[in-house]
Amino acid sequence: MGSYIGIVIGLMVIVGIEVVLTYQHLPVRTLLFSLLCLACVEAFVGVMYLMHVKYESPLLFWTVFPATIFVLVLLNYVWPDAYRMARMSLGK
Amino acid sequence: MSESELTMATGHEVLMEASPYAIEKKKLGMWIFIVSDACTFATFLFGYGYMRVGSQNWGTPFEFGTILNGIIMTFVLLSSSLTMLAAVRATQAGQKASASKWLVLTMLLGTVFAILHLREWFKMFGAGWGLFSNPTGGAVQFGACFFSVTGLHLTHVISGVIALLIIMRGYNRGRYDTSHVETAGLYWHFVDLVWMFVFPLMYLMNAR
Repeated sequence: MGSYIGIVIGLMVIVGIEVVLTYQHLPVRTLLFSLLCLACVEAFVGVMYLMHVKYESPLLFWTVFPATIFVLVLLNYVWPDAYRMARMSLGK
Repeated sequence: MSESELTMATGHEVLMEASPYAIEKKKLGMWIFIVSDACTFATFLFGYGYMRVGSQNWGTPFEFGTILNGIIMTFVLLSSSLTMLAAVRATQAGQKASASKWLVLTMLLGTVFAILHLREWFKMFGAGWGLFSNPTGGAVQFGACFFSVTGLHLTHVISGVIALLIIMRGYNRGRYDTSHVETAGLYWHFVDLVWMFVFPLMYLMNAR
């Protein structure tokens, strides 16, 4: 149980780092990139240790994760249109 | 006895192959649900990002008080993951009373999270926020994005508390076993991990 307590405390520390970064008045893109990176680290640690994927068959990992990440990457097709909308609203 | 051994031992004529994932069906089913639910949350969050990038005057309305409430909610949810782990370990050790104690604590923390969340929501409603209203004069889509994403997550937390209650009652009556508690635990950790994206994107990115 001790290792799990360490993992949860580690996750809490990452949340603390996120809050500190928020109030450093970083450029929006830098802040977004930093927060997303930290959130991905939290998710990875959580999935591997709290959800026990590390201790399951590697096939589960290799079936679930590449497919999920592929779908999430495909969702990014919306961004060019979002930037187009931003340019349109700026042109008004 | 493993599930595959049971399949062969029950006397059926057809010999079934063992699961290549070496996990029980209910756990595999939960993983498939988690993947699809992760895509649902991702769609909501991408939609929020899309609207934010496409809006000229999004604004950053959240004062530190709101962020502090979010931090407390995060710590409560992370603590509930730890109590859920303790409950799973207690069930694996066959300690029914201890498992029930940890499950009750997990449900309590989930309820505290929901109360803190609803308190924040009602405070925002009181200040004039709504699905289609923004009292700060910024983009009206803010309310729709915020209440949709956090509402979807809150629904998951409340559903999780109800599911844990049902699993706990069934486990205490001998209807459910350790694997049911483990599967419920997978769901609970997933809800926790989703919050690890919702908190920075919906709260911290909108901090003043």
